[in-house]
Amino acid sequence: MTRIKSDQTLDTSGKCCPMPMVETNQAIKGMKAGEVLEIIATDPATKMDIPSWCQRTGNTLIEHHEDGGTLRYYVCKRD
Amino acid sequence: MKSMAIVVRDDAYDKILTPLAFAYLQAAEGTQVDMLFVNWAVKALTEKGAHALKVDGQHAGQDAWVRQQVAKAGLPPDVYDIIKALKSTGHVHLYACSLASAIFGVDKDNLIPEAEDIVGASWFLNEKASKAEHYQYF
Repeated sequence: MTRIKSDQTLDTSGKCCPMPMVETNQAIKGMKAGEVLEIIATDPATKMDIPSWCQRTGNTLIEHHEDGGTLRYYVCKRD
Repeated sequence: MKSMAIVVRDDAYDKILTPLAFAYLQAAEGTQVDMLFVNWAVKALTEKGAHALKVDGQHAGQDAWVRQQVAKAGLPPDVYDIIKALKSTGHVHLYACSLASAIFGVDKDNLIPEAEDIVGASWFLNEKASKAEHYQYF
């Protein structure tokens, strides 16, 4: 597993759609281009929502992994 | 998606959650969301009406449980608080249908400040729905 340094962490554990995506949008808005947002989630819907959102918004999903029901996504804010 | 128009007809607590959640999702992403509340749903644009919404029909007995689940999901369990959250995105515009307002007792005095106005369906359909990239009806 790669260790990625994040600039900000958003923990959405326990929350379900729409909140993980709403909070991800809110968090990324406050960040600078090139910074990395770590998103922690337990909603399995994020497995499709976050890659799709990255593709649509131009942000880069650097890595994601799952450990015991906890999902972690590392998203680099677009330039 | 740049714009989305939603017509909300159902006023049951559980049934109004979906259009509000969809609006919240898209507005958070920067999509302009225009919502017209028709029929009984127009009462959701009054403070008293928004607080009074309940789960109805065959699931009426599960109102408290649904609210608990909504809170657990991270949304405010009260509809008026959800509406305030939608407005805080800066991308959601709420309109009360003029016919529904006349029938169900909504006027300028009890319309919540988060709502834009009481409007005719013709205006909404032509100026918002037909020009939106995506249109939904609940």
